[in-house]
Amino acid sequence: MKTEADYYALFDAYRSGELAAPQRTDLERRLAMDPDLARRLSDYETLTGTLTAYGQRLALRRKLNAIQADMDAEQAVRLSPAERMAPAFSSGEAPRPALRISRTEEKLRQFWGSHRATMMVAASVAVMAVFATLLGMEWWKARQQPSLYGYATLRREVDRIKRTQRVMNKAINQIGTPATPAVNQGKFSGTGFALTADGYLVTSYHVIQGADSLLIESRDRQRFRAEPVFTDVAHDLAILHIKDKSFKGFGRLPYSFKRGQSELGERVYTLGYPREDLVFNDGSLSARSGFEGDTGFYQISIPVNPGNSGGPLLDDRGNLIGIISGRQMDVQSAAFATKSSYLMRLVDSLSAARTGQAYNLPRANQLAGTSRPQQIRKLRDYVFVVKVYE
Amino acid sequence: MGKGQPSYTDEEFVAAIRRGDDRALAQLYRLHFPMISHYVLQNSGTDDEAKDVYQEGVMVFYEKVRDGSLELSCQIKTYLYAVCRRLWLKRLTEKTRFGGRLDDHEPYLETGAEADLELAEERDRRFATMAEALERIGEPCRSLLEGFYLLDKSMQQLTAEFGYTNADNAKNQKYKCLVRLKKLFFNQYQEFET
Repeated sequence: MKTEADYYALFDAYRSGELAAPQRTDLERRLAMDPDLARRLSDYETLTGTLTAYGQRLALRRKLNAIQADMDAEQAVRLSPAERMAPAFSSGEAPRPALRISRTEEKLRQFWGSHRATMMVAASVAVMAVFATLLGMEWWKARQQPSLYGYATLRREVDRIKRTQRVMNKAINQIGTPATPAVNQGKFSGTGFALTADGYLVTSYHVIQGADSLLIESRDRQRFRAEPVFTDVAHDLAILHIKDKSFKGFGRLPYSFKRGQSELGERVYTLGYPREDLVFNDGSLSARSGFEGDTGFYQISIPVNPGNSGGPLLDDRGNLIGIISGRQMDVQSAAFATKSSYLMRLVDSLSAARTGQAYNLPRANQLAGTSRPQQIRKLRDYVFVVKVYE
Repeated sequence: MGKGQPSYTDEEFVAAIRRGDDRALAQLYRLHFPMISHYVLQNSGTDDEAKDVYQEGVMVFYEKVRDGSLELSCQIKTYLYAVCRRLWLKRLTEKTRFGGRLDDHEPYLETGAEADLELAEERDRRFATMAEALERIGEPCRSLLEGFYLLDKSMQQLTAEFGYTNADNAKNQKYKCLVRLKKLFFNQYQEFET
């Protein structure tokens, strides 16, 4: 009886072709007859086959590792400064700019390589967040202003006028007369009027909104520097005070302020500076509430223009009943003016709060009973351009 | 790369590797390594992982070529990419770090790499079993078999090394060892199968 090892010896010889022809035919005959023997042969073959293949696999792994090690070594050489010293011109190629990469830089590069996409997304989100915040704040600020949809405040942008002035200057130059040097016109302008004889003025809040400095210009081109004393955003009011030492006072004010409310249908008029010159406009008091039912305002049927803001609104008897604020865009000649009662309330509360400064409001009215041109002649020295510099 | 070395086409590569040309293998390895390395690094892998994956991929390709069973329907590059992509995907799932789409930078084609990989995995399992069987068989059988089959030493060499009186003795010892290995190997392999 043969042992398994003996069979293996036989198979080995059979496979390597060392077996003599008669023995071989004998074995083949037996393999065909005996399935047990055939299974044994196949087992043997699986075993040796796997072993050989395993050997090859290990050899291959060694080979690949060697190749990889070669490549790594080349990489290291390329990165080391020695390579920079040794001229590589002999190969005909221009030498690559060699980089000395430190340990930390290598780590940083790896980090960059693997997290690049994430970081870019994060960066764009950050950028978008910044812009969204800026735009949102801008929008919010716009909402804070009394100018709502359909409501236009009436401060005048001076740039447009400047442009027309430049055109005019050009025309003058062509004629041959030297042009007058252009003065700084400021960015916006509106109208203001005297509140007291000692240098307090009233204008609309939106006229002086965002102002760095304010300049008051009277009809005879006298200029004074002014500072805002108090502002009321809700009623679009601002009280200014002239700071110039050369200012001597307005003199006696011809008009008085009405503390109560005026009646519907009352004939009213305003003076203002929508252009470089004083402009008169009149109309009627059309409603006792303003834009969207705001009871702090009157609606008036006076055609007003940018620049009229902050102008005085007077009735026939020369009472000051309001301050021009804005107009509704989609309605024909619907302008709005802050009620003088709110101005009075504001002045009263300021007088109460500040013990040192009293507001000496005019008591007597010199305009009552006179004709309108006469009223205006008296009034015009108390209406000013308010120039705003940002 | 390519300095003083012949550059091969895909067919030439296959033919050269089938002949057992190591230089062709080395060149092939160098040629496609950057692609796989880039791919793995892009998809949250490290340098070493890239090397591992690439070596495994090359092995699959190499063994297919040596078998003569390779039916290349596409470029070698595409084939390697498909295999390595698959391998890396598997590794990522094992690491359970993978939670999304893979970032492909080469067109991914159906290359038959999937089926080849199944076979390769099967073979890997068999090799692992064999390695374990060799571990357990004990000396001197292990050294003898390793010497003969894995390190390609001749019987005469082994006879001298192990101090057998003649080659026949060594051969007999080898056959006995094979029988023991067979028992260990098939026991484990079948265990694994069931």
